[in-house]
Amino acid sequence: MRGKFQWEHAVLLLALVLLTVGTYIGLAVAPPERHMGDVQRIMYVHVPTAWIAMLSLTVAFVAAIGSLWSGKHKWDAAVVGSTETGVVLTGLLLSQGMIWARATWGVWWDWDVRLTTSLVMFILFAGVLALRASVDSAERRASWSAVAIIVAYADVPLVYFCVRWWRSLHQVQSTPETVDAAMMLPLRINAFGMLFLATWFIVRRARLELAQRQVEETTLPERRSVEEVQHA
Amino acid sequence: MPDGVIVDGWASVIAAYSVTTVGLIIYAASLWQRRRRLERKQS
Repeated sequence: MRGKFQWEHAVLLLALVLLTVGTYIGLAVAPPERHMGDVQRIMYVHVPTAWIAMLSLTVAFVAAIGSLWSGKHKWDAAVVGSTETGVVLTGLLLSQGMIWARATWGVWWDWDVRLTTSLVMFILFAGVLALRASVDSAERRASWSAVAIIVAYADVPLVYFCVRWWRSLHQVQSTPETVDAAMMLPLRINAFGMLFLATWFIVRRARLELAQRQVEETTLPERRSVEEVQHA
Repeated sequence: MPDGVIVDGWASVIAAYSVTTVGLIIYAASLWQRRRRLERKQS
């Protein structure tokens, strides 16, 4: 387990380099926005966090289907890795958004459609992790959480498209059509940095899950025999 | 500077980047700690 170089560490290094460069350009080189001034620089961390949070949860959705379809441990490990990463990023996304909202809207929170669907996304997927923690049987844990993720995923496209479908305080999606070219460069660099960082998180968490499962399987016969003795 | 522009936005920018950095470090540390605990269990 130790002493062997794993490819994901190169991905982590690349992520840290990209995030450092992207943040530097975003904070020191890119121009301030005409109306929001410097506070708009939160966008260079907020938007990549949002994109990669939704991407991680999309990976969780695909892995959940793979887990239900094949029943293989690897798919379930990918479910855990991507769900946990998605929940962490969504939590950070909500925190950044609240700080930005306080500076621009004058309030920490508003029950706006984008904010509300994002909060629902956080609660739903955090709920999946809580569900997993409450189930002892590895097979049941995998199948129940896969079904829960497929149901919870219905909210993810809503988060992305709601600003176009309904009236919202929140701005529309950040694309080259809505963001100036000088601001797109740090946004893209940070998005790739966040993508590689999330990949590292997902792979590390999935490896941990597989190792935990191995330990569970080796200790299960011992636990069963102890339980049998207690019941006898 | 034109009217309506938010001045002194740097405090919010620093807060947002700090929250993100600290959050990511805490999650990475929790993964590392869980790994260590498992390795101890295995040995």
